[in-house]
Amino acid sequence: MRTKMMAMAILVLASGAAQARSSIWDGAYTDAQADRGRTAYMQNCSRCHGATLMGTFEIPPLVGRIMPYYSGSSLETFFDYIATAMPLDRPGSLSPATNADIVAYILKTNDVPSGSRELTAAGSKTIQFDVKPRKK
Amino acid sequence: MIGVGHMDRRHLLKQSLALGGLAGLGATSQPAMAQRAQLVPIRAHADRIYDIKCCIRPFRTKGPNLTVEQVGDATVIHNYGHHGSGWCLSWGSADMQVQKAMSFAPRKIAVVGSGVIGLTTAVQALRAGMEVTIYTRELLPRTRSYRANGVWGPGTVALASEAQPGLGDIWEQMVRTSWKNFRPYMGMAGSPIAWSEHYELSDTPFDAPPPAPIPMANGEPAPVFYDMGNRIGDITSIPEVLTPELNPFPGVKYARHSTKMFWNFSEYGHLLTTEFFSRGGKIVMRDFHSPSELGHLPEKVIINCPGYAAHDWWRDKSMIPVRGQTEWLIPQPEVNYGLTYRNVETRSKSDGVMVIQIGPEMFAKSWKNSNEIPNRAEAETAVKVVEELMSRFPTRPA
Repeated sequence: MRTKMMAMAILVLASGAAQARSSIWDGAYTDAQADRGRTAYMQNCSRCHGATLMGTFEIPPLVGRIMPYYSGSSLETFFDYIATAMPLDRPGSLSPATNADIVAYILKTNDVPSGSRELTAAGSKTIQFDVKPRKK
Repeated sequence: MIGVGHMDRRHLLKQSLALGGLAGLGATSQPAMAQRAQLVPIRAHADRIYDIKCCIRPFRTKGPNLTVEQVGDATVIHNYGHHGSGWCLSWGSADMQVQKAMSFAPRKIAVVGSGVIGLTTAVQALRAGMEVTIYTRELLPRTRSYRANGVWGPGTVALASEAQPGLGDIWEQMVRTSWKNFRPYMGMAGSPIAWSEHYELSDTPFDAPPPAPIPMANGEPAPVFYDMGNRIGDITSIPEVLTPELNPFPGVKYARHSTKMFWNFSEYGHLLTTEFFSRGGKIVMRDFHSPSELGHLPEKVIINCPGYAAHDWWRDKSMIPVRGQTEWLIPQPEVNYGLTYRNVETRSKSDGVMVIQIGPEMFAKSWKNSNEIPNRAEAETAVKVVEELMSRFPTRPA
């Protein structure tokens, strides 16, 4: 029994490690989700960050430098920041699903490829925000 | 420094005058002016607005966070939450927190943020002999500090009900240390710090009873701020009432005159930045997302100067956003004065004539407002007040 439990624990740990190895470059969102995210972005974010996500002199861009700025953290960190701090004039007012769609759209605009599974708030915990695709 | 600070200054000044114990900067037994000043009108028209800057003042209900805490193996010394008084308190607050850092005897320190508090703290640490690296997502011209009004007039920094014990003494120390540190910048080429005449103008007597408090735009009652008391009357310019013969503004019934110190951001910021690099300071462009990330920095003593960003990255929910907006008219170096009239203030700086809406109604719209989008209509409304005032000056012959 004890051996069986240990084996299960190892299996869980191994699957956790496998999950933790997931990267934003492994298809972290779907195209349909990014399309929804685009609509949500235009409604809630573009007023400050601009229709092209380039920001302004005073408002940070959401393309380019966010890649190195978030590199090394999990996608959850990025998701959490958007969920708690944005939109700036009514922080935390968007649903987790809408925030996930917006994250998907931002990833797509930064040329991070889509995949077959939708991004969720919970799922973002196991996805690493890598600045570049990992070498296979 | 803007809006709220202005209201508080008036309150403080009234107190100082009522007590009569402080002479006040610029106050003498002589009349304010021997003769009526000849003023060049401000060319205030909407089409001369060349920039609108919007920012969030970092108000913290308990007052600035100056505490020290441990994050992993790093010692974090906080330095944020100076409301609209960051420029005024910058050197004093920097000095206080750098002293705390030095007590850990580090060779290297990190400074997070490079608004006026962060950059000044970094320079102060370099002057103290430490090796300094600033970690920041923006350089000074893109920070909220750079979107302030930038006039001397330290105001309240806490709510009366939540102010930390001894805040008045700490605030006064910060103010006085800052004041002394600004002194070497006066008279320098480019006028990083300058002085100008200021006229407070009114259609009603200055001793008229104040209007009833206005509820905040979000429906809350007006906040009650910590009263800084009668502390800095000797370094605060006290306005003197001008007789009608000395009032240079046609069609304005009541006028007061004072002299105000202000910053020219470009020149002052350039000096701070130049000193930072010339003393060997380094800047790393990066963002932080959670306090634990500080533990990964090579420096183990860190002074945290994020301004309003502490609300999100340090999850400091005692931070309250207070919106502020300034509009900038094309520079007029020949305009050597500022004015306050009908809840609009102007100041002639090297990079333009600054115009700002102030007063209780504007404050009611700004409190707990984190909308940082410039409002063109607000800008034009403010400029129109100045335009109408300037139209009262006689037209000069061509």
